[in-house]
Amino acid sequence: MTDPAAIWLVAALLALVAVLGAGLLALRHRARQLQRVLAVSQEKLEQLQREFEHFAPADVVEQLTGGQGIYVPRRRIVTMLFADLRGFTALCDRLDPAVAVDILNDYFRRMNAAITSHHGHINELVGDGLLALFGALEHNPWQGRDSVLAALDMRVELARYNEELRAKSLPELRFGIGIHSGEVVVGVMGAGALSKFTVTGDPINVASRVEGLTSVHKVDLLITEEIRSTLDDQFTLRRMPATAVKGKPEPIVTYYVEHISGPGSPDRASEALAGLGMRP
Amino acid sequence: MAQLLDEIEWGQAILPRYSDPAWEVEVKRRVGQVSEVDRRVASSPWVREVCVSMTSYRPVAMPQRLFNIGALVTAQENSCRYCYGANRAYMKILGYSESFISRIERDATLAELDEKERAFISFCRRLARSRPRPAKADHAALVALGFAPLAVSEMAMLIALGCYYNRIGILIACPPEHAFERVANSFLGRLMGPLMRMVMSMRQPAQPATLDAATLSDGPFGAVVATLAGLPGATIFKTALDGAFASAVLPRSVKALMFAVVARTLGCRTSEIEARKLLAAEDFSDDEIDSALLTLRSPRLSQHDASLLPWVRNTVYYQTPVVQKQTGALVAEIGHAAILEAIGVAALANATVRLAMLLE
Repeated sequence: MTDPAAIWLVAALLALVAVLGAGLLALRHRARQLQRVLAVSQEKLEQLQREFEHFAPADVVEQLTGGQGIYVPRRRIVTMLFADLRGFTALCDRLDPAVAVDILNDYFRRMNAAITSHHGHINELVGDGLLALFGALEHNPWQGRDSVLAALDMRVELARYNEELRAKSLPELRFGIGIHSGEVVVGVMGAGALSKFTVTGDPINVASRVEGLTSVHKVDLLITEEIRSTLDDQFTLRRMPATAVKGKPEPIVTYYVEHISGPGSPDRASEALAGLGMRP
Repeated sequence: MAQLLDEIEWGQAILPRYSDPAWEVEVKRRVGQVSEVDRRVASSPWVREVCVSMTSYRPVAMPQRLFNIGALVTAQENSCRYCYGANRAYMKILGYSESFISRIERDATLAELDEKERAFISFCRRLARSRPRPAKADHAALVALGFAPLAVSEMAMLIALGCYYNRIGILIACPPEHAFERVANSFLGRLMGPLMRMVMSMRQPAQPATLDAATLSDGPFGAVVATLAGLPGATIFKTALDGAFASAVLPRSVKALMFAVVARTLGCRTSEIEARKLLAAEDFSDDEIDSALLTLRSPRLSQHDASLLPWVRNTVYYQTPVVQKQTGALVAEIGHAAILEAIGVAALANATVRLAMLLE
């Protein structure tokens, strides 16, 4: 005969085991739910980070999102390359807006490839103009040379693109490039949602003015003395007359970059120049 | 953020396989199997020796678990599809779960890791990336967290050697070990995992001899290698540097200039001084060195070697498909033997200059 107390004890134990089991299952279910939520959040964060990288350099985005606080502003020697399309605004008035945007996007894609392959990055697009920086993100002892090589590749790319545009009976593009270097402040600037990674300082104004001088001297690529001093005789340069520019007490001496030659450096730029009809 | 495995663009192999049956037997004896990298670098005695020595290395001062994680993170940071895939597969075979590996590579919060381990992963990423390169203070910070100084030196060595191997994989565009990756990710792989782990644990590859600081200091970049005194891995580094500078495939001055360029790219004064010593021994004046480092050209270099200075600079910070394309173009100019030597020197320079963080 079974003791009723023992039966109750076994029943109570079984009930306890059942409750504990159910509790464990519920906890496991909850843990899995939380893991899924965490995975989705992580995925969203990664997606956001990748989207954000379209607007700021990846290293800066990682510093900002990686819990390392704000990107600390610093002074650095940076080389700035301004490139502006000549007469594109007038072209836009004649072209279908979708075609104009397509042409501009194709142009920026090609210029971006030329710039990034020489250790630069596009910092800003303003209308049909762009500002590329060299040495803003990492120590770069060859930033002057890099910027000129990038500009020469941009020239080659533009010539190639113009061939394609010509074949489609679309108008060809022409640009002016100005390059200068100097000490600037690098950091994330702005307020709230309008913040961006950029540089500020007088050298950036000079680079912009030099780009403007390409119209005055009727050439496509000008550099300042600061850039010239970083180049060797592999680069063929032509000194331009000193010219006064807005905001500068002294006229600025610039150099037109004709081409590069030497071992391992095919003279692709001259070939491109011919294609552009840019030889002054 | 660092790229994930499927995001890495990977080009066509730059170097063909090189058949050396005696060497393959030796590799099998030492590490159990011949990898795709082993087959493609087999024509260079010193490059192939470093590759095999480092794959058979077992850590002595740091935990094996961190060693495995560090190899994965370094390969990911360097965007080496070959090494990243192989390390990932190897970790699966070792029994790490897919979710654990995935969280490491996504740099997600890892509750399973303690503060020291998370600091180690961050150190791996920063040293591999070197934007900027960590410094001696970072070594001290890890020691302050509770790691032994020798363990931190071994970590730096692991990452530096990882940077070497990753660059070999990238610059020769070594085809990934797809078969191994498939097995590791398959049901059969999971089933056979314990057996494979048992076989691997039974294999005890011979470790290199541990050399004293005085012996390590004697030779190219001796000051840097001597920081590893007490670790068997120091011998791998020393053998690599001695072998690279003794090899006659490229002139010694070209190799020293390539090291100097990498040192300047990473802003490493110590390594630049060491490279200058080697160049001075080759009768380079200070002005000649300065000019070469300013312009990435030197009239003392042959036309054949002139393209190596701008190229080696691109092996420090790069986009994988771009540097593979540049290296592929160089093969046509200088040929297979010279490109393999140049790739080895570039990889070793990147490793040595990163290791020099222990000094400055």
